[in-house]
Amino acid sequence: MAIDTLIEVLARYEAVIGLEIHTEITAARTKMFCGCPVAFGGEPNTRVCPVCLGMPGALPVPNEAAVEWTLLAGLATECDIALWSQFHRKHYFYPDMPKDYQISQYDLPFCSGGFVEVEVDGDGVAERADIGGSMPFVGPEAVAEGSGYRTRIGITRIHLEEDTGKMVHVGGAEGRISGATHSFVDFNRAGTPLMELVTEPDIRTPEEARRFAQKLRSIWLALGVSDCNMEEGSMRVDANVSVRPRGSSEFGTKSEIKNLNSFKALHDAIEYEIVRQAATLDAGRAVSQETRHWDAGARRTSGLRSKEEAHDYRYFPEPDMVPFNFDPEWVDSLAERLPEMPDARRDRYIAQYGLRKHDASALAGEFAFACFFEETAGIAGLDRSKQVVNWMLGELTALLKAQGSELSDVRVTPAMLAELVALIEDGGISGKQAKDVFAEMAETGDPPGAIVEDRGMKQVSDVAEIEAAVSRVLEAHPAEVASYRAGKQTLIGFFVGQVMRETRGQGNPRVVNEALRRMLG
Amino acid sequence: MSASPDLSAMSARQLRDAVASGGISAREIAEAAYARAESLDTEVHAFLQLTPELAFAAAEKVDRARAAGEELPPLAGVPAGIKDNMNLVGTRTTCGSRILHNHESVYDCTAVRRLLAAGALPIGKCNLDEFAFGSSTENSAFGPTRNPWNLERVPGGSSGGSAACVAAGMASVSLGSDTGGSIRQPAALTGTVGLKPTYGRVSRYGVVAFGSSLDQIGPFGKTVDDVALALEAIAGADPFDATSSPEPVARYAAAPGEGVRGLRVGVVRGMLETEGLAPAIRAAVRDAAETLAGLGAEVGDVELPSARHGLAAYYIIGPAEASSNLARFDGIRYGHRCEDPADVIDLYMRSRAEGFGQESIRRIMLGTYALSAGYYDAYYGQAQKARTRIIEDFRAAFSRFDVLLTPTTPETAFRFGAKVADPYSMYLNDVYTIPVNLAGNCAVSVPAGLDPAGLPIGIQLIGDHFAEATLLRAAAAFEAAVAFAPVPPLVRSLGTPKGGE
Repeated sequence: MAIDTLIEVLARYEAVIGLEIHTEITAARTKMFCGCPVAFGGEPNTRVCPVCLGMPGALPVPNEAAVEWTLLAGLATECDIALWSQFHRKHYFYPDMPKDYQISQYDLPFCSGGFVEVEVDGDGVAERADIGGSMPFVGPEAVAEGSGYRTRIGITRIHLEEDTGKMVHVGGAEGRISGATHSFVDFNRAGTPLMELVTEPDIRTPEEARRFAQKLRSIWLALGVSDCNMEEGSMRVDANVSVRPRGSSEFGTKSEIKNLNSFKALHDAIEYEIVRQAATLDAGRAVSQETRHWDAGARRTSGLRSKEEAHDYRYFPEPDMVPFNFDPEWVDSLAERLPEMPDARRDRYIAQYGLRKHDASALAGEFAFACFFEETAGIAGLDRSKQVVNWMLGELTALLKAQGSELSDVRVTPAMLAELVALIEDGGISGKQAKDVFAEMAETGDPPGAIVEDRGMKQVSDVAEIEAAVSRVLEAHPAEVASYRAGKQTLIGFFVGQVMRETRGQGNPRVVNEALRRMLG
Repeated sequence: MSASPDLSAMSARQLRDAVASGGISAREIAEAAYARAESLDTEVHAFLQLTPELAFAAAEKVDRARAAGEELPPLAGVPAGIKDNMNLVGTRTTCGSRILHNHESVYDCTAVRRLLAAGALPIGKCNLDEFAFGSSTENSAFGPTRNPWNLERVPGGSSGGSAACVAAGMASVSLGSDTGGSIRQPAALTGTVGLKPTYGRVSRYGVVAFGSSLDQIGPFGKTVDDVALALEAIAGADPFDATSSPEPVARYAAAPGEGVRGLRVGVVRGMLETEGLAPAIRAAVRDAAETLAGLGAEVGDVELPSARHGLAAYYIIGPAEASSNLARFDGIRYGHRCEDPADVIDLYMRSRAEGFGQESIRRIMLGTYALSAGYYDAYYGQAQKARTRIIEDFRAAFSRFDVLLTPTTPETAFRFGAKVADPYSMYLNDVYTIPVNLAGNCAVSVPAGLDPAGLPIGIQLIGDHFAEATLLRAAAAFEAAVAFAPVPPLVRSLGTPKGGE
């Protein structure tokens, strides 16, 4: 499905999108209602106890750290914190849920009424035709800004609950439960503290959805509440999507899309769904309310189960715990503990380091990058921070992408990158050499100075030394010298190559060129 | 070799002191308990499972400590029964249900662990109405318990086995659980003392939940003093139960001696005027009021106007919580699973239909209905409002009185089958006890004599939140004044025990 199709559809229909984002509070270390450790993977059913297995008579005791992290998450996204709150039981039978009810929150979530600002630039702007001016403005407030725009996405609520176990189905299609001959349940994940954030239906394009999710991840990482690993499922996004004719104020029938385990999947699945729903309406049929599964391989969504018969979860207040009654002063003291959030960090980078907005956003949005940048710039010096940024967003990012690894996995340290920048700036090595050095230090973990030393890469800029090399080359190639002087100017490349060979690649190209032209001329 | 101890003639405190002084060994006590169970339990059926390995191991530990000259814990050598809805590693915990018939405990209930840490000998796991749903033990999937006073009659329930094993002298103390009267009602029907502590006084960790906001574990004993000893052993905060209270544990066992002079006792008038209250019980309560007044208590009348809504509120809240708590018995991880399920839905439906008895199914359905969308406000919401009113009634009553006096039950032990066909008449048996659970207060049933048919009568004393010490003081004074030391005819027929091996 081409982007053209989406943009064509969005000219006639307005998409209304809301996200539900589940994030495991990996920072809490232990499960929500027992002392079992929170970690990914492991031998099945090894991180379990009577409580998280739902053994008869076992009782939940709330993890206070997880509650505190949830309040911090709410404060970081401008939410109101409920001073009086409680857990509810949500009932449904499923084998991965030990008690056959989930301890969750219902009408009294810890956090509500927040928002996150999202900026869209680049190709994604085209998805928002109404901002471009040709469409009447109908969506939530969106403000044009430079070549892009900024919009505010409301957060309805953030509540705390326990995660379920995981199931493996054998014998059915695509590992799904229907048609399976056997199912295995692993309860290692059961009881992991899980924050559920629900947005207002303020999102209008797939790109806004992606930007929101990315922004939220950057906030969670800056806060330190979770490792937000989408592949391992510690951050999981579901999207509610509906479309309505432009100008209509009524909501269309929505579908809920699951299995969105990357930002790209989130964008592409919403794009597919908007076009599919529009095509359904164009054909005079009705969109049915259902849960749909994104198949990243086939690049399409398919229906899971009909939601027409809504579940009755029979919520009631969890009697095994007493309600929470927070001291407002304590909540205020939590707010003071909030670290710098990505937007504030970006603004500071622009002011403090003189970075371009795009670069500042890219660094500030990725908490690990931001820390790496500040440490590197601290060593390299303020006047070299732009070069540090270029290396980080250039070679370093390319390296991570190529290896599919995290910054923490890389052997390059801030001290090494600062040293490399200094080597270039102080004329020690050329830009091309520096790229080789970077590759080698990423591979070996050796500091750049040592690599340059070992390989004898130090650049020669000394004019007398270069001139001596030029003299030797000119003496060895009298015929070529004659041809050059007779007008065959293209031979200059040949001479440069020879001089570089003479200096074992260490001649400063600029000095070599100047010396050659002077001595040949 | 010393003579085998007569567990009916000695209190838990006397047994413990005899062990401590070397007059008797814990091993001999365990042997006497099992000898008694061998003679009587085929008829009484108080136990679903005897646990001699655990009991003799515990006895050996006590006897070794005694031989080493160590100070013995407060229940050293005291034989104890444990209701079979409490987990204890090394036992099955069946809850009297087919759905858990094969369930081996994987951890220990806090109250049980504390009882055993105090030196008690775990004689066995006691019969109960399935998941504690009932007032007669007739709902046990493994057959009813019989009342040692009259084998044709029920011992009450749901903790019928815990009551009967103490009444029959097969154990000196036992643990029961009380959600609407499940300790006090069987105590009244078997001539034993049974205490429901204040909600939060004893940890609920490890007792299989029925109504989480109502359940409390409590002790049975032949005497108020024994019950106080056992309460002191099991009470106190527990990091594994978020509803357990940090309130310090008082020296309950020291309290009984102090008398009731000046204690303000309120007789709940409305409860004496209930239709269906047996005349002998009404008379016993009036006599008890006079007895306490005679001991120097200030006796007056009090009303709990909303208590009459207690039964209705309880039969919404209890089943609502039970329907949720029983969801986990699904055949997936443990317990009964049906043969050859076609799919997961079939597995759930057949495992549960085969595993649960009629009363469990009835309560699951009642509770599921009460919590359903569209009915929640009318049922659960209304019941919570009634509960709040009842709490306010008790608060007002305790601003004027230290202890309240009521009947424990409307009638004495009834015949098997008498109420099976009419659940409501069964539910009415708990009409005096239920309001106490709704309000979270503590209460104790104390034997007050026999009715004309020779069946025990119990009176209920109710205390303020965490005022167990005051409550037990009043109970002990009454017990001493009545001087009723009930021994069922069944036990008397055994005669004096023969000498040991």
